[in-house]
Amino acid sequence: MASTKMKIKKDKSGGHVVMVLVKHPMETGNRKDKKTGKKVPAHFVQTIVFSHNGEVVAQAHLGPAVSKNPLTQILLTGAKSGDTVAVHWTDNKGDSGGTETTVK
Amino acid sequence: MKRRIFLKNTLAAGTITVAVAAGLLVPRRLLAADWPKSAFDAKSETDAVKAFFGDVPVVDSDAIKIKAPLQAENGAVVPLKVSTSLAGVEAIAVMVEKNPAPYATSVQMMAGAGALYSTRIKMGQTSPVTCYIKAGGKVHKASQVVKVTVGGCGG
Amino acid sequence: MKGKILTLVITTGILVLTVPLARALSEAEVKKDIEEFQAFFLKRFPSLSLEDYVDGVNALPQYAERRANWELLMEFPPYETEMDEAAEEWAKPFTSGKSFDDCALAPATVYPIYDAASDGLRTLVGDINACLAANGEKPIRNVKRGKMARLVAHYRSRFNGQRMAVNYSDPGARRWYEKGRQYYWAKRGQLNFSCAGCHVQNAGNKLRGDVLSAGLGHGVGFPVYRTQWAISGKPWGTIHRRYSGCFQQVRAKPFKAQSDIYKALELYEAIMNTGVPIKVPSQRQ
Repeated sequence: MASTKMKIKKDKSGGHVVMVLVKHPMETGNRKDKKTGKKVPAHFVQTIVFSHNGEVVAQAHLGPAVSKNPLTQILLTGAKSGDTVAVHWTDNKGDSGGTETTVK
Repeated sequence: MKRRIFLKNTLAAGTITVAVAAGLLVPRRLLAADWPKSAFDAKSETDAVKAFFGDVPVVDSDAIKIKAPLQAENGAVVPLKVSTSLAGVEAIAVMVEKNPAPYATSVQMMAGAGALYSTRIKMGQTSPVTCYIKAGGKVHKASQVVKVTVGGCGG
Repeated sequence: MKGKILTLVITTGILVLTVPLARALSEAEVKKDIEEFQAFFLKRFPSLSLEDYVDGVNALPQYAERRANWELLMEFPPYETEMDEAAEEWAKPFTSGKSFDDCALAPATVYPIYDAASDGLRTLVGDINACLAANGEKPIRNVKRGKMARLVAHYRSRFNGQRMAVNYSDPGARRWYEKGRQYYWAKRGQLNFSCAGCHVQNAGNKLRGDVLSAGLGHGVGFPVYRTQWAISGKPWGTIHRRYSGCFQQVRAKPFKAQSDIYKALELYEAIMNTGVPIKVPSQRQ
């Protein structure tokens, strides 16, 4: 199952809303594991980069105060049908993921 | 979470394999080099604002629209959406005053991205949620209180 | 057995036997029950149409302060990736070579179904496990959450927009209906609440920090994907999971999922929601 899912919807403003759902625990580092009693180490997405036809258009910074399985949404202006939109994320442990799609 | 390499998914999605090969998924240029650590670590909202935006004047704005519940269903997942009619938006930051570290998330945009940001944040208790928007050399802000209560029907 | 009945009497205030001994109402009486039940809510919330009730508590005017939670989450529902997974789980062939679609399950709009041969009720959960058994597969043990809930969600979602139409023409079905009806209206638990007490008489009112949902709309959105359950890693729940939770909250001993009591309740609620469209899954608190 993919850990990154993206949806693009046309917006009333004429642009396209880009929504990214990343499957990620977003651990703050304060939660105690019920079985071991030890704190679960912080593990959270730090950066999500949005690209349009290979050019970066936005970069989101996330921290542990962002919810588990974060949903991040931006507005893309000037995108046309057939354009490529890509997202790439990295977390504090160096894991990364991403996906891309074509604007309808 | 184990190191789940996203390349694993490329076996299922042909387009991603092609994209990786073409270098499309690895951004050629990053906007800001670093994750704003000092902002995320700041214990007060004022410090967080300074850490991310620098010493820029902060003004209230009624051109910022915040969509967030007046009462959260669950403090661990509070969805919110911020947008604005201000021109030349460079960055948006979301802060939760009563969180131990108020700086929750932010986004920086280039010309190809509009003035909209939506996210889902954790809130420890009822608190104002303030959205700061850098546009036209100033930082504009607007705020909304989100109530976080103990429920009655969990189960 | 005697001790068990005694305990039930004390905790529930009504005598419950394993064989439904309630008299069967006439079809006309059941129809009247449906009309009165629905009319009560349509009068109580005049701004809502019957179809609005599919969104549960989110449709109620008293939920205005919290509705944005649901509206924003629904822009990209948290359950979406799992629904994709559910479709795959449903389509995966058994070792027999067949799959769930070969089991000829009834439309979601008619469950629970009265089975005259066994004088019992068939639920979708039961039929799914029966399908597995018929194909030499192990039945799913945890029938309240996880995989079973996802499978039910996938199947029911195929009927989204179609209206509930449970058949009660058989007197056996109506005996089960009567059992469910009595259960819905009987007070239970240390807090001495009945289902109706909260979801009919106090629909829209507050219970501590929460707003009570209306009985009209119950069931059509199940299985449910709950934020609260998602945080502990078990987001999905069938209606019987919610019944257990609710029983515990009024400090009544919960029954097992797929027990006769919960099936009877499910039947009663499904019949009370005759004509209400299915909308599965639902995203809730």
